[in-house]
Amino acid sequence: MDDYIVRLDGICKSFPGVKALDQVRFRLKAGEVMALLGENGAGKSTLMKILSGIYTKDSGSMTIFGQPIEALTPKRSQELGIAIIHQELNMCRHLTVAENMFLGREKHNGILLSQKAMNEEAARILKSLDIDLDPTTPVGSLQVSKQQMVEIAKALSTNARILIMDEPTSALTSKEIEELFRIIHRLRDEGKGIVYISHRLEELQHIVDRVTILRDGQFILEADFDKISMSEIIANMVGREIKEKFPRVHCEKGKKILEVRNLNAGRMVRDVSFESYEGEILGFAGLMGAGRTETTRAIFGVDPKQSGQIFIDGKEVRITGPADAIRHGLVLAPEDRKKDGLCVKLSIRSNIELPNLDIACNNLGVVRRGLVSEMVAKAKAAFDIRMPNDQVNAGSLSGGNQQKVVVAKWLARESRVVIFDEPTRGIDVAAKVEIYHLMNRLKKQGISVIFVSSEMPEVLGIADRIIVMCDGRITGEMMIQDATQEKILELATRFENKLSIA
Amino acid sequence: MENRDQKQRNPILRFLSSRGVGQVVIIAFVLVGLCLFFNTQNANFLGKRNIANLLRQIAPYIIIGIGQGYVLITANIDLSIGSVVGMNCMTIATLMCNGMHPIPALLVGMACCIAVGILNGELVARCKLPPFVATLGTQTICRGIAQMVNNNMNTDSIDGSAFSAAAKTLRDVFYYGKIAGIYNTFWIALLLWLVFNFLLAYTRTGRHLYAVGSNAEASKLSGVNVSRTIVKAYLVSCFCAGITGIIVCAQSGTGTMNAGTGYETFAVAASVIGGISTMGGTGILSGVLVGAGVWAVMDNGLQLMNTSVGLKNVVVGSIVIVSVLIDVVVRSGNLGFITGKVFGKRKAA
Repeated sequence: MDDYIVRLDGICKSFPGVKALDQVRFRLKAGEVMALLGENGAGKSTLMKILSGIYTKDSGSMTIFGQPIEALTPKRSQELGIAIIHQELNMCRHLTVAENMFLGREKHNGILLSQKAMNEEAARILKSLDIDLDPTTPVGSLQVSKQQMVEIAKALSTNARILIMDEPTSALTSKEIEELFRIIHRLRDEGKGIVYISHRLEELQHIVDRVTILRDGQFILEADFDKISMSEIIANMVGREIKEKFPRVHCEKGKKILEVRNLNAGRMVRDVSFESYEGEILGFAGLMGAGRTETTRAIFGVDPKQSGQIFIDGKEVRITGPADAIRHGLVLAPEDRKKDGLCVKLSIRSNIELPNLDIACNNLGVVRRGLVSEMVAKAKAAFDIRMPNDQVNAGSLSGGNQQKVVVAKWLARESRVVIFDEPTRGIDVAAKVEIYHLMNRLKKQGISVIFVSSEMPEVLGIADRIIVMCDGRITGEMMIQDATQEKILELATRFENKLSIA
Repeated sequence: MENRDQKQRNPILRFLSSRGVGQVVIIAFVLVGLCLFFNTQNANFLGKRNIANLLRQIAPYIIIGIGQGYVLITANIDLSIGSVVGMNCMTIATLMCNGMHPIPALLVGMACCIAVGILNGELVARCKLPPFVATLGTQTICRGIAQMVNNNMNTDSIDGSAFSAAAKTLRDVFYYGKIAGIYNTFWIALLLWLVFNFLLAYTRTGRHLYAVGSNAEASKLSGVNVSRTIVKAYLVSCFCAGITGIIVCAQSGTGTMNAGTGYETFAVAASVIGGISTMGGTGILSGVLVGAGVWAVMDNGLQLMNTSVGLKNVVVGSIVIVSVLIDVVVRSGNLGFITGKVFGKRKAA
């Protein structure tokens, strides 16, 4: 006998039209953190959903804790000690921490719920994890990171011995990530098996013991983390060497296009002034919650401004709503694709058509279908958007392809300034590089690109000039030649001395 | 941030902010205010007799409000309530007029109502129909059945049926009789409220109703049987509608084909005024008590003032909108935005 607690062999799973998993194998030992890696759509989440009973496999064998398992349901998998923490947090925001933790397996004495017992038990678990939370707080009023802690506590309250985490760090700040890693270490030392899915390869070194790589639904390799290099990992994920992780193109900096003077909009945008030039990528760095997204929203006219001026090509423009901004050639690819960037229930075609209806219609206001088809074809070719056809819902695409659609819809217009807010969040390495290429292409066309990102390496790799924000203010600006991670971090944490205000 | 922490630490504030308790308290004050106001207009308003009448008037609203409240908490809606009231009223009256004893007649009628509830629930939960459409369909079907059972006619009085003594008892038990000076109708409503409030607040099923309304996907992944929970909510809704049908029949003594018309909207109003969100996941059943109270007090009070039905409708409609508006503003934190602006200015000055 070996010490594997999970053995999956020859797992196959098909969805209509797609073979999501093809003869996949997977092994997990007790007391280790296994990274499950692969590009978007490689089948990581599908595999884990099979392990946690959300999907049923088409074929293959599963052995969990030495016990051959045929059919799994979420409930059965929970009983076996498997818990999954989903990428998109799945909590009932109206219910309290304790109510969420015990959802579906409430303690009760026949009829009555044992509210007090559940609260006490929840408090005990939270305390054992060193999480400072009151179990009677409604989950909806917690920060995302705390909600994540609740998910973990919930998983542990089921006495889980196998914990699956799908992109747990994508919404966390670096301090919160440290906190999470501390908890993961501790669980590993207690002998739990942990499956860790993440696109942020740089964080693997802190926690991972072994890696399994999937590509296009197939098993590629399994290795000890310290015996494999990062470039090997990337090469195996994408199936080819990515030569340039951050492709850079050089072009002449042109004239000034956008100038923002003394912009104020709420607490998170205070006295912001900057300018951007033709043929330049201007990076906005900072910690999460530094006010960068709020700044882009205020410029684009989504949120009201209290004061400040915006100049495009030297002329002052009044932007009171997104329609004004678009008319002046200023467009925004927002941070939250599903919420702000796309109409997920509409087709890809309609999404691309939507912001361009003014140019796609004839004088009677009837949409010229030919022109729209042309736009869609152009976008598809330019961005290599992988879709069955342009009538499928935008929401059914993978994250990377959704992002491409968000950007593609602006391509049909003559834009002067394009703002990208966290365009690479939650998408895989190859798709990220495509987004970088896209920004470079816009830059070469003489468009001013503004690139907001919390991931410092990519800002350093792509931007020509970097502005750093902290707490709603611009705390520094530097040319790329002078920029280092340390400098940016120093500026990004330059909080005001709160006492001096009062 | 600090503010929020304080809010969480202070037990009273936390109690008020949990599950819409705050709105119930506000509406309760409004209700008391309305009663005092109407009393100044007409001294009989808080008289013993009118109070007894008032409570009897409130009762049906409470009962249908309980049912609608259950469904709204799961983030669904039941538009079939009014028709189920009419269907049960017609069914039991027709059976009694055709010589059936009231007890089996009631059992048959209630069984039909429960069947409609299960149908609604299955259509919404398992067939994934939008609740608005599914229950609009059953609404029309049930009204059709109400018209069909007695060949498109209202029934004769049940007093003249074969079991006239039993029919009389039925009318007393559900409408005309009194215990401790208060009409039975109100006691029935109160009893139902106690039972269903207990189920909602203290049992697993209740917890699951909130969870499903808050996030159905998360509930499913936590092992909650979402379909069954939704079916239960619709079951309660149609059960309550059926009881209301009996009360309506007991009041008039005949089966009326258009009995209960518009009750589904009254039920939504009673729930919503009392702080049960149409978006699901929040609200408490006490809200139905005060919501139904406001509705019936307006009804009764404006009637005593001899105002027109039209004015009453305008006023009550406005109350529905304002009460939801308060809820939306408080929840979205827009109020906080306004106060934030004020504080910001102060700081600048």
